[in-house]
Amino acid sequence: MSTLASGRGHYVVWAVAAIVMGVLPLVFSSGASVTMMSLMGFAIVFALSYNMLLGQTGMLSFGHAVYYGLGGFMTAHALNVVGAGKLPIPLPVMPLVGGLAGLFFAVIFGWVSTKRAGTAFAMISLGIGELVAACSLILRGFFGGEGGISTSRTATLKMFGISFGPQIQVYYLIAAWCLICMAAMYAFTRTPLGRMCNAVRDNPERAEFVGYSTQMVRFIAFCVSGFFAGVAGGLAAIHYEIVTASVVGAVPSGFVLLMAYIGGIAFFIGPIIGAVLMTALQISLSDYTGAWLLYVGLMFVVVVMYAPWGLGGLLLMHQPLLAAGTWRRVLPAYALAVAPVLMLTVGGVLLVETSHHLMVKATEGPAMRLFWVDYQANSPIAWTAIVLLLVAGVWSLRRVAPKVSDAFHGAAQEARQRRAA
Amino acid sequence: MSASALQLIDLHKSFGVTPIIRGVNLDVVQGERHAIIGPNGAGKSTLFHLVSGRFPVSSGHVRLKGDDVTGLPPYMINRRGLSRSFQVTNIFPRLSVFENIRCGVLWSLGYRYSFWHLVERARDARERTDAILEQINLVARRDVPAGVLSYAEQRALEIGITIAGGADVIMLDEPTAGMSRSETEHAVSLIRRVSEGKTLVIVEHDMSVVFDLADRISVLVYGQVIATDTPQRIRGNAAVQEAYLGTATVESDHA
Repeated sequence: MSTLASGRGHYVVWAVAAIVMGVLPLVFSSGASVTMMSLMGFAIVFALSYNMLLGQTGMLSFGHAVYYGLGGFMTAHALNVVGAGKLPIPLPVMPLVGGLAGLFFAVIFGWVSTKRAGTAFAMISLGIGELVAACSLILRGFFGGEGGISTSRTATLKMFGISFGPQIQVYYLIAAWCLICMAAMYAFTRTPLGRMCNAVRDNPERAEFVGYSTQMVRFIAFCVSGFFAGVAGGLAAIHYEIVTASVVGAVPSGFVLLMAYIGGIAFFIGPIIGAVLMTALQISLSDYTGAWLLYVGLMFVVVVMYAPWGLGGLLLMHQPLLAAGTWRRVLPAYALAVAPVLMLTVGGVLLVETSHHLMVKATEGPAMRLFWVDYQANSPIAWTAIVLLLVAGVWSLRRVAPKVSDAFHGAAQEARQRRAA
Repeated sequence: MSASALQLIDLHKSFGVTPIIRGVNLDVVQGERHAIIGPNGAGKSTLFHLVSGRFPVSSGHVRLKGDDVTGLPPYMINRRGLSRSFQVTNIFPRLSVFENIRCGVLWSLGYRYSFWHLVERARDARERTDAILEQINLVARRDVPAGVLSYAEQRALEIGITIAGGADVIMLDEPTAGMSRSETEHAVSLIRRVSEGKTLVIVEHDMSVVFDLADRISVLVYGQVIATDTPQRIRGNAAVQEAYLGTATVESDHA
């Protein structure tokens, strides 16, 4: 499986991860980057907690934001209580409140939903998600209505003179929790229960005949997953200092599915890649275009259709090639694919943006600017260019795709032979 | 005669209005190798499913080593020391061969639902798993995903998972189905080895396997056991010959 799986290697991997997370804000020191990396931190925890269900236990949940969101609300309330009462509880332990809240609600809702697997489980999770979202509009005292629950992270006990006011301090708090949670969730996959989660995913029937109740395996996995989702929600509450009802809704539940799937649910590292990438896209794309969710959706469709193992799968697929040194063989074929992919991407972006401009920003007139070019959104020339780019992109990609595939398989086979020799 | 390992008392099973098992009484004593034979559709696999808890019984009782296990879920029956294999290979295809066996080992070594042990550090589980791999001759295939094994290897793995937990009552559902002659011989010697000192209940179509392995044979026809006896006496039983074997079959099959 992944490189993380091998023996003592993972201590090195974790040490490197810790160093990278420590050094990153020194390299990307702007306020915007530190904020983005903070968001990535709890997105990673959230996505990994989701993958405990989907990738490891084979449970498709449409309501995972319930545990994330409730963890966030409980953390915000707890912060307010701690701040008002001047209780001697420092901020760094507060995400634990979120985790325990997530665990608590996962025990309650999990007890019901894990009685079923497969489609029934997915439907129940959707129902619970809707239920909690509906409650969030009714129980205004707890969820704070439309304004949400505001809080202040700086009102807690200060340790060593750290106020957690500046974003950089919050980043390190999130990074530390992220690292601990990643290591804990990775360790979980190496426990007897973690292994049986995979067994239940692969063949629930047989798991029952080697002494394991599949319902109990699913239930415990669900609770542990709820705990980590709650921690992520708590970190988010600390970061934003506000939690609104939308965090328990269907949108974040869907987004975490996208993060995990696009990153690759079959590998531990997949959801990490997905969370980092999707957070970056969410922040940077939403600055440029109102249609950014459309790109995310398109990416999801492309991954599901052409790379079911996700981006993590695509990367790890090349690991044997790197190890055996046959990776150079694929480069010419991959280089050939650059132009078609570029044409498709540019054509696709032009199509989306030009349509978006015509339909959503109709009042601003047809003049627009994209890729450093000024043009009219309704001009026949622009549309001809879009169609030409797309057609040429598809046509050439279909010509190149078999070459890429051949090159990869050739290199992979040679890698196997070299290893066997 | 020693104590009974498995007792079926007036067992009935109907699917809707169709009766499949119609009052089976069977007593398998501890340490014996007991074969169940019968024509297609006689209900042999259904009987296995009833005993192992996969299907609920319509009426009657299943006793395992004296305890009533009727209506218990499969994992409870397994924990009480009964383990079964499947007619259609039923493994964990994406897990490695080693992990498949280890899944069968973990509960019996007391790891249960632990998420406070690391499996890499579980030396007893690793040693037991490696010993089983040795027994079923799959050491060389230890780290490949079970899904890519050959058919005969998957059947051996199926038996390996079944015996991994150290259950003392082993039930094998057509372990040699679809195997070539030499593969069957391997499988029979494997079954003989792994069932040493245990109680074995086996469903089998291959008569040479049955007469080779079994201490006693029960003949199931249309959901009822029409005879239970030693192989010699079953071969001479007129009712069995008429109902199932056909007069000349036993002799020629065994030759």
